[in-house]
Amino acid sequence: MNFIESFRQNFIEADRWKYLADGLGTTLLITLLAVTIGMLLGFFVAVIRATYLRTGRFRIADWFCRLYLTVIRGTPVVVQLLIIYFVIFASVPISKTFVAVIAFGINSGAYVAEIVRGGIMAIDTGQLEAGRSLGLNYSRTMIYIILPQALKNVLPALANEAIVLLKETSVAGYIAIADLTKGGDIIRSQTFSAFLPLLAVAVIYLVMVVVLTKLVGLLEGRLAANDRR
Amino acid sequence: MIVVKNLTKDFKGTPVLKGIDEHIQKGEKVVIIGPSGSGKSTFLRCLNLMETPTGGEIYFDGEKISGLPYYENHSFAFRRFRRQHPSAHDINQLRMRMGMVFQHFNLFPHLTIQNNITLAPVKLKLMSEEEANLKARELLERVGLPDKADAYPSQLSGGQKQRVAIARALAMNPEVMLFDEPTSALDPEMVGEVLQLMKQLADDGMTMVVVTHEMGFAKEVASRVLFMADGVIVEQNTPDEFFAHPNSPRLQEFLSKVL
Repeated sequence: MNFIESFRQNFIEADRWKYLADGLGTTLLITLLAVTIGMLLGFFVAVIRATYLRTGRFRIADWFCRLYLTVIRGTPVVVQLLIIYFVIFASVPISKTFVAVIAFGINSGAYVAEIVRGGIMAIDTGQLEAGRSLGLNYSRTMIYIILPQALKNVLPALANEAIVLLKETSVAGYIAIADLTKGGDIIRSQTFSAFLPLLAVAVIYLVMVVVLTKLVGLLEGRLAANDRR
Repeated sequence: MIVVKNLTKDFKGTPVLKGIDEHIQKGEKVVIIGPSGSGKSTFLRCLNLMETPTGGEIYFDGEKISGLPYYENHSFAFRRFRRQHPSAHDINQLRMRMGMVFQHFNLFPHLTIQNNITLAPVKLKLMSEEEANLKARELLERVGLPDKADAYPSQLSGGQKQRVAIARALAMNPEVMLFDEPTSALDPEMVGEVLQLMKQLADDGMTMVVVTHEMGFAKEVASRVLFMADGVIVEQNTPDEFFAHPNSPRLQEFLSKVL
């Protein structure tokens, strides 16, 4: 069987390319929503952790945050996905995509939290003191003075985290979500040829990651240029 | 204006301030000198509760500000306290009335000079944005940097940064200014411009508490000089007497080293 014939069989025949296209859509949707949840959750946890470490307030909340970080970062994302789908939402009729968004969002939040916390802690305490000495309370100092600086410093790391998450969603097939990876796998199971479908899947991921990485690079350049002004 | 009674401060069990009594009148220019580690910066930082005192009392304008659940205005403890004492001010309201200038300037690097100055008055709703901008221009004029409004802190020299920091504190119309070694991080040729500005401020009648190593400034500007060592005020006097006739051997030894 030559290449063209194989290509036709795997992608054109029975509109099999749609498995990849639909899967890509699902992958992007899950990634986008999970990144959003992860960022919100991560910022929230980071601010609590940093506040506790800097001022000693929120001791109990900090304990729960540390528990969350330990559990999420200490277990595989596939296991978390399975637990959330088969245990937590076991008796709830719920969209699988929604479950995946929740699972990947919670997972990503833990990594985002540590990135952002690092960014906050890297800001000189003098900034906090200057804000407080002017009569701004802790939250306002955080919002107007600390977080804008911290965010700028960790933006590239956060963008990388989003790229990592894009690849990690490839395990969504474990709960029978037809994402990009699963799409390629379905084609393989129908045509009994593994090479082309899986190669196509890999190439699509690679192209997305390379493009996004390029964008992060541009972003980093822009931020660095700003610092030199 | 500021009354301090038997103020003590420990850092993790190490005593830094060992009982300080002090009364700072309105309009006074109090200069605090002393060897490093003597607790002079800690004392200054206790005055606006940047450091929480371990013991003793601090009164600002007749109101006791230490030892109370002042720490955060949204804390439950403070809300409960204010229900019983409706006239009590929270720490942020008090700090608005006390400007502070730091050794390392602590300008906000992500904001322009103008926004550094206007941030607090605008966010605290003391001024509208236009009023604050006008005020910022006026202050920059006063500190001799009228053309730097749209620059960023990283484009300024050390002396210019410290003058902006002083303008930022003045934007809140404080009743007293606290200076924590304002010239210690500056190159020698920039010390003069900052001291000059502080002298102007003193001449305008501002109440000032200054921790410094600049003996010339103490002699020229202070209405009173305090000498701190080992967590206590060892000696205090008018600048003339202080430098001409030091009483304690500790001060004599210190002056012989720095003068």
